[in-house]
Amino acid sequence: MDMKDVTKLETSGKSNIKGLALAGVIFVFFIIPWIVPSFRVMDVMAKIMIFTIVVASFDLLLGYTGILSFAHGMFFGIGAYSIALILYYSKTPAWYHILCAAGVSIVISMVISLMISFFSLRVKAIFFAMLTLALAEFAHILGVQWTGLTGGEDGISFTLPGIFNFNQTLGTLFNTQVNGRLMIYYFILIIAIFLFAGMLRFIRSPLGRVLKAIRENEQRTIALGYKTFRYQTCSIVFSACIASLAGILFAMWLCYVNPDSVFHTAVMVNILLMVLIGGMGTLYGSLIGAGFFIVTENWLPGLLKSLAGLASDSIILANMASRWQLYFGILFVLVVIFFPKGVIGTIRVILDRRHQIHNL
Amino acid sequence: MTTEPLNFQTRIYPFRQYTGWMIGIGLFLLPLIPMDLTTYLTLTVAGISLGMLIFLIASGLTLIFGLMDVLNLAHAAFFAFGAYAGFTVLNLLNNAGWIDSANLAQSLFYLALALGAAGLAGGALGMLTEKIVIKRVYGNHLMQLLVTVGVSFVIVEILKIIWGVNDEVVPVPMGFQDAFIIFGVFIEYFRVVAIFLGITIFVILQYILKKTKLGIIVRAGVENQEIVKATGYNISWIFTLVFAAGAALAAIGGTMMAIFNQAVDPGMGDQFLIFALIVVIIGGLGSVTGSFVGAVIVGLSFNYVAFLLPKMALGVNFMIMAVILLIRPKGLFGKD
Repeated sequence: MDMKDVTKLETSGKSNIKGLALAGVIFVFFIIPWIVPSFRVMDVMAKIMIFTIVVASFDLLLGYTGILSFAHGMFFGIGAYSIALILYYSKTPAWYHILCAAGVSIVISMVISLMISFFSLRVKAIFFAMLTLALAEFAHILGVQWTGLTGGEDGISFTLPGIFNFNQTLGTLFNTQVNGRLMIYYFILIIAIFLFAGMLRFIRSPLGRVLKAIRENEQRTIALGYKTFRYQTCSIVFSACIASLAGILFAMWLCYVNPDSVFHTAVMVNILLMVLIGGMGTLYGSLIGAGFFIVTENWLPGLLKSLAGLASDSIILANMASRWQLYFGILFVLVVIFFPKGVIGTIRVILDRRHQIHNL
Repeated sequence: MTTEPLNFQTRIYPFRQYTGWMIGIGLFLLPLIPMDLTTYLTLTVAGISLGMLIFLIASGLTLIFGLMDVLNLAHAAFFAFGAYAGFTVLNLLNNAGWIDSANLAQSLFYLALALGAAGLAGGALGMLTEKIVIKRVYGNHLMQLLVTVGVSFVIVEILKIIWGVNDEVVPVPMGFQDAFIIFGVFIEYFRVVAIFLGITIFVILQYILKKTKLGIIVRAGVENQEIVKATGYNISWIFTLVFAAGAALAAIGGTMMAIFNQAVDPGMGDQFLIFALIVVIIGGLGSVTGSFVGAVIVGLSFNYVAFLLPKMALGVNFMIMAVILLIRPKGLFGKD
């Protein structure tokens, strides 16, 4: 058996476990609405799926290309707003409006991300971060102040067409009401699987390999004859499009958007935290990061409040309990400093070490 | 950025270094076409004073980047923190009943108190941040960006815990609410103070960077800490102090902006960070002169456009940034 076969054998063994785990996760997502018929749990699961996609697409940039973009939340918001605006202004929503929104948001994201990369990639990675941060702030201000179109801080609520409509009940199945919400839930699940598979395919393509090479050593990749600018632009555009599609899913789930929920810097910080927890450069980490974050976000405030209720009635303490975002911020800093590889990254390091010892 | 560049460019194109000034002056005169002279002068004074306030924010950002090669995204949080520190001092003075009866000299004194408190508080916070967090991530841009985003988030949350999430009205010393008139142009005293403060800080920074050894020591420290230590400089404390100075500048800018807008809110940092970033990108990363010129450009264009086409004010700043990036990808005064 020569070297090639050995590597093939190893990777196939690894991907078997991964594939099994992934299938298990998908199965859990599939079955949850029937096992736990609680809206809150379904809400958490849907958000985990959506943010897994956002975080994975962000990871394509940060982890696989080494580019830090603060405009990712903006692309997410562009998707959310495009479907919200289309459905809100077309008085009678129809199913093709969703396709329309997908098309519009992809085109807008492509144009903007091409412009961003054209203006800033030529210079320095740090420029890219600054430019995208300024642009993201601009998008937030636009969302708040362009009240004629976006409804300002009040946001837009809209109704979904056809079987996705919340008020519609299609019947009951196994003691669970089959309604519009459930339909959207499965719609999100299918699209999320599709997008995630697309991203996996993307990083395993020759293009993805070149991106990894750029991350590891840009000078050397240039020396090998690759036009790094083109490859980086490709990954920026691709991840921006995926983020905007995830934004559409997010808006469909909530049937409501406002500037603070999609354009605010805090959204970007949350996405960053999810990437870091899962591990940069490990697409699967996005699931862990998003899962951890969304679950904590849902149950931490209540926990803190009950803790504060136990202690005393000082205002500062009550404030400290209600500002649960503070603890995410602290966690964020700690993760960056002490745990920069994230969960999956650390597991990989441990496995590699074990593998080496085994080989010795 | 870490080494002194050879000045080939200036030798080949002797006017190249004046490009920034020419663009600045061109923009400066352009709005005269659609408006009369009095309006123009009023807007110009307002624009320059806004520009000076933005310069205070941008200068700290560019100082930290230019010397220490750290892009500090927590700058906006230092700015908001400074605004709240100054607000607290002014509030205490107001509770003593001194704000409403202040004449100009007293107002200046109270302003100095507020700015001093903000500078000290901001500097202390900056020192703490550097000692706890930043010193662990020198030399790694990505980590710096990430960690400072996190720090920014934490500081803003702490602001919300201490001062609450709502907007607060800042008591403005009575002396600043007056204005004097030259050639039919109303000029508020506070704008003059802002312009004066901005220019003073610009001169001080230029003096320190050009005439003292601090700049060269810090840049050498970024390059090789061990050797700078061996020559007898306590480089880690110098780093801390430079970072604290940058944070103090942000805090002073915050207090000035709080008085200028007569309001503070926890999210105010983000709103002005966008200006500071545009200024730093226009002027060139790490160039104090660049951020001075950039701040004046942004302040003026913002005011002119806000008068002519109110909705477009921020968009025009983005367009200016895009144009300048097209002409000079490193900014007007950027070096590599």
